[in-house]
Amino acid sequence: MAAPISDERWAFLLERAGLDPTKAPERFAELREGYRLVERLQKTVRRTGGGQARDRAAEPAHIFSAKG
Amino acid sequence: MAIADPSQLSLAEAGRAIAGGELSPVTLTESYLARIAALDGELHSYVLVLTDQALAAARAAEAELKAGRSRGALHGIPIGLKDIYKTKGIRTTAGSRVYETHVPGEDAETWARLKNAGAVLLGKQETHEFAIGGPDFTLPFPPARNPWNLAHYPAGSSSGSAAAVGAHLCAAAMGSDTGGSIRGPAAYCGLVGLKPTYGRVSRRGVFPLSYSLDHCGPLTRTVEDCALMMQALAGYDPLDPASADVPVSDYTRALAPRLDGVRIGVVRHFHEHDAVAGFGPDSAPLPAYVAAFDAACRTLERLGATLVDLELSPLIDYADTNRVILLAEAYALHETDYRERPQLFGRHMFARIGLGAFLTAADYVEALRQRRELCAEFAAATAGVDVVISANATGPAPRIDALTTYTTFERASYTAPWNLTGSPALSVPIGFVDGLPLAFQLVGKPFDEAGVLRAGFAFEQATGFHRERPPIAASLPTR
Repeated sequence: MAAPISDERWAFLLERAGLDPTKAPERFAELREGYRLVERLQKTVRRTGGGQARDRAAEPAHIFSAKG
Repeated sequence: MAIADPSQLSLAEAGRAIAGGELSPVTLTESYLARIAALDGELHSYVLVLTDQALAAARAAEAELKAGRSRGALHGIPIGLKDIYKTKGIRTTAGSRVYETHVPGEDAETWARLKNAGAVLLGKQETHEFAIGGPDFTLPFPPARNPWNLAHYPAGSSSGSAAAVGAHLCAAAMGSDTGGSIRGPAAYCGLVGLKPTYGRVSRRGVFPLSYSLDHCGPLTRTVEDCALMMQALAGYDPLDPASADVPVSDYTRALAPRLDGVRIGVVRHFHEHDAVAGFGPDSAPLPAYVAAFDAACRTLERLGATLVDLELSPLIDYADTNRVILLAEAYALHETDYRERPQLFGRHMFARIGLGAFLTAADYVEALRQRRELCAEFAAATAGVDVVISANATGPAPRIDALTTYTTFERASYTAPWNLTGSPALSVPIGFVDGLPLAFQLVGKPFDEAGVLRAGFAFEQATGFHRERPPIAASLPTR
């Protein structure tokens, strides 16, 4: 189970996102509980290839067709 | 011969009866409206019932038939729309206070196509807020209930649409699917639900949740009904930037009772290993589900198919890549309201999409890179098969009061992988446990909706699970 996020870290994340927790304090408290899921997601999307960093050439495909 | 209760017919049966002059669209529409009036007070599947408009449309459909004009299999068929589909002049709320009084000036392209095919709109159906926030008892519209047991969850976000189809409060309905919101409700409500290939069905005029993962598709009681709905829905829409200009098959012609020569890949490790390994013991499949899945595999073999096991990356890689893209895109969509008037959102909507505020640009790009890798892996792994089967929800519908805000992100999702790959994926019932339905998914190659419908039809005809009805679907007592 992920360790609870510190007050300082939480304040930093809110500020970076431009969010004001005083507008809905109870809801932001629940959102803070959910932050552990973000940490899992951030780890998982970097997982393919056995935990190694991706090849720099492994780009997301972006294809332009004749139809524009 | 008079039809005793036309609401008991499948869409296909009703369409044939209308075409044959044995059933009036007005009679059929009246039968559904009577059921809605009698039963929806406890099911909560509709947020708006269009009694007068539906009857007027049914009378117009009948007049057209009398004048010798038939629009085809959907002529005079009453349907419902998830309340994220825009309807010109008709309130469309997206299940949110933000749009509580919103009346669009145009129709969703999908509704325009269904209307042109002769369908009659009974009403707008309950949805999770913006197709993600629910079931939420703090919103203006109460959450829909499962027609098999009203104490249970019908899944979401196309909750009302699935509940209404399952309870015979419409012949078919439209849902939307970004991580499983058509196929999850189909599974829990014992229905057929199709998430078509990305780009196959227009999304124009449907409130977006995540631009690159959103799909529109039908919820029906049979595979044949699904094929008929898809025939009207599929096709290029030049005004939907993600629409694909790919020819449309004849979906009903593809339906056949045997699967001789069909090669089916089975993704077992998603539910047999990856669910617990990636998401913990709460995601363990119910033993009765594993038995039903294995029995379904044997049925497909008896129908002539050859089954081979497929090995893909772990389920969590597919599911969480989908979630990162979904949360990042959804948060970007709602960022202004989220910052400036967060109190307007329901509790679940706020808590879920807010996670997207903490993802970085690098997280999103890594998810897009991983998405491409997983799509390539899936295409290579399935090169030698025609169709893939994978689990859907690996247990029956939970009680509606047993869900927490983050259950949907904490547990294994078997539907999200196919939003990520954009593959057509059909949910079909495979049995029951404790009186509640179970289902699996048939997944196809891009734009091969005909292939998954063919496999689903053969399976359905061989097993007959689609003929089971919840008690609430029974005919109303006659006066």
